Amino acid sequence: MIAAKLYDGVTAHPHDVRVAFGHQCLTLEQDGGWSDSVEAAQLKRIEVSRASIRLGRSDTPGWRLLLPGEAAEDVRTLLGREERYGRWIDRVGLIPALAVGAAVTASVVAFGYVAPAWIAPHVPMSWERNVGGAIVADFGELRCRDGKGQQALEALVERVSPGATKGPNGIKVAALDVPMFNAAALPGGYIVVFKPAITETDPEALAGVLAHEIAHVRRRHVTEALLRELGIGALIRLFSGTIGANAEQIVALSYTRSNEAQADSDAVRSLQQANIDPRPTAALFQRLAKEAPEFSAQFLQSHPASGQRAQKFAASFDRREQYQPALSRDDADALFDICRNHSPHQ
Amino acid sequence: MYRFWATARQRRYLWSRTHVIDDCLEWTGTGKEMFLGFLIVIAILAPFLLFIQFVFPALLARGKAEAAFGLIFLFEIALIYLGGFARFRALRYRLSRSWWHGIRGGSDDPGWNYAGEYLGRIFLAAVTVWIAWPGQATHLWNSRWDAMSFGPLEFRAELDSEGLGWRWALVYLVPIGLLIAAAVLAFGIIGSLGAGADPLPRASIAAIIGLMFVVAYVAIPLMTLNWYAAYFRKAAEATTLGEIGFGFDATTMQWLGLFLGNLGLAIVTLGFGITYWGYRNWSFMVRHLHIYGSIDVSKLTQSTTHAPREAEGFADAFDVGAI
Repeated sequence: MIAAKLYDGVTAHPHDVRVAFGHQCLTLEQDGGWSDSVEAAQLKRIEVSRASIRLGRSDTPGWRLLLPGEAAEDVRTLLGREERYGRWIDRVGLIPALAVGAAVTASVVAFGYVAPAWIAPHVPMSWERNVGGAIVADFGELRCRDGKGQQALEALVERVSPGATKGPNGIKVAALDVPMFNAAALPGGYIVVFKPAITETDPEALAGVLAHEIAHVRRRHVTEALLRELGIGALIRLFSGTIGANAEQIVALSYTRSNEAQADSDAVRSLQQANIDPRPTAALFQRLAKEAPEFSAQFLQSHPASGQRAQKFAASFDRREQYQPALSRDDADALFDICRNHSPHQ
Repeated sequence: MYRFWATARQRRYLWSRTHVIDDCLEWTGTGKEMFLGFLIVIAILAPFLLFIQFVFPALLARGKAEAAFGLIFLFEIALIYLGGFARFRALRYRLSRSWWHGIRGGSDDPGWNYAGEYLGRIFLAAVTVWIAWPGQATHLWNSRWDAMSFGPLEFRAELDSEGLGWRWALVYLVPIGLLIAAAVLAFGIIGSLGAGADPLPRASIAAIIGLMFVVAYVAIPLMTLNWYAAYFRKAAEATTLGEIGFGFDATTMQWLGLFLGNLGLAIVTLGFGITYWGYRNWSFMVRHLHIYGSIDVSKLTQSTTHAPREAEGFADAFDVGAI
């Protein structure tokens, strides 16, 4: 017989009782002659510490039996081992449970990483049009609108990738008067080139940059990056015509390294087919890598090591080839002046 | 996902180590019911959010800005209403899962009326640029606690805003005073220098003004804390349960110590210390809370209130405390 305290769940009054452990049951007695028997199946551990054990009854809320710590062995015989980490985990063991948890988490992460690449090619280009158009419109005042320059820029795109600007899913290219060396592919086949990327390079290097961005568009890397960074909800929002992200966020979307490597390989091939000298592009990447990070960070962000990519372009140079200029003299001049008549504060 | 079960475990631990008179408290809430509460909130809020996400841009795109912002306004009213509801239900849930001597607390009030009162009082406070907040806060405290019970005993709260007003005034006056002092100091220096003065003192004037701006930003939270410290002390005193009275003695500096301690702990441990916040906050409350009076345990019978099945999902979603 062990002395214990009982709350009956009816009042808060503590009753002094004596407890006897029987086979699959527990007997309670009180001085006045009152006694009760509780089956083991109805009992549950509420709290176990070294000093005390608190049992409850599944059929009587508030019923609590407070046993001293020395009853631990009897309680274990009656109720079996104590629940440790929770029912499911105890059943399989902690280590296997952790392993399963880790595997599930890893596969969710892996799916999140791989799924955009599967889904992106199946997103209709037309869904993205509104979004890209809205972003270009966002830049509105900054857009360089010189007619001849625009023609030359489109000619350069056509030169690198013949037929690229034609058709409903054709590429639309725009020059922006933004003092930052950058170019970006936007949703819906839009490509924006910032002014320094035109005025501080030659048409050959710009051709390389454009070829790279065209590859991002063609391979749906933009959609992929949108899905990856904004989540699968981006798909629904694309469909409804608004992305819920601002222009800066879209421009700053980053591609995976393999996306970048793929775009570079495509660009090298485009230059070869267009018979454009790849060395200026290689030199540009070399230069960007050396320049102060604040100028190159955006363009180089998540790109393969710039030295390597410069090499990739340089390696494709063939000395037997008779390279043709990327643009005619007149077109090159017009392109250089594309932002000349533009004054954002007009 | 595990955080619901983690919260339940943490509470079970904290409650079981909190002694009230001759026995410890017991927490019987489970992770499952908290998860259920979370699912209910998702089910109610998700259509709202989706509706806003699609309809708002669509209305804007069609040039119906008034309709779009009207909708947002209605949405915010609904959110405030639900916020009040959340606070009430969280308190009710916590009491219904807290046991002492085999007896629990609870409430039979579903909380919809409280949520309406909450909305009205928030509106009243807002239209007075929150100057009227102390009065509204005290009324809300009373309404909330008057609906609660433990066993057969009803909580009674008779909190009034007497003596709280001047502390609340400091929330406005201290920052304004600091800014005026900064301006006077700065103009005084400029005046004494005269035109064409050395640029160096001018830089230091800018520094003084800048510093005072910072002080103003620190001053508002500090003064608010100063008010809440007094509010909680007074609120505990004004609340009774049967013949039991309460007291709470944490001062502004002690509250500040708790918050700075939490912050420091998180920084020093690179964020891992945040897991310790629950313990620190609870032990702070328990250390400063006092219970007076007597209780007749044989008359403290079981609560007959309805025990809600779902947990404080709304409070969780709106990030509001129960008390």
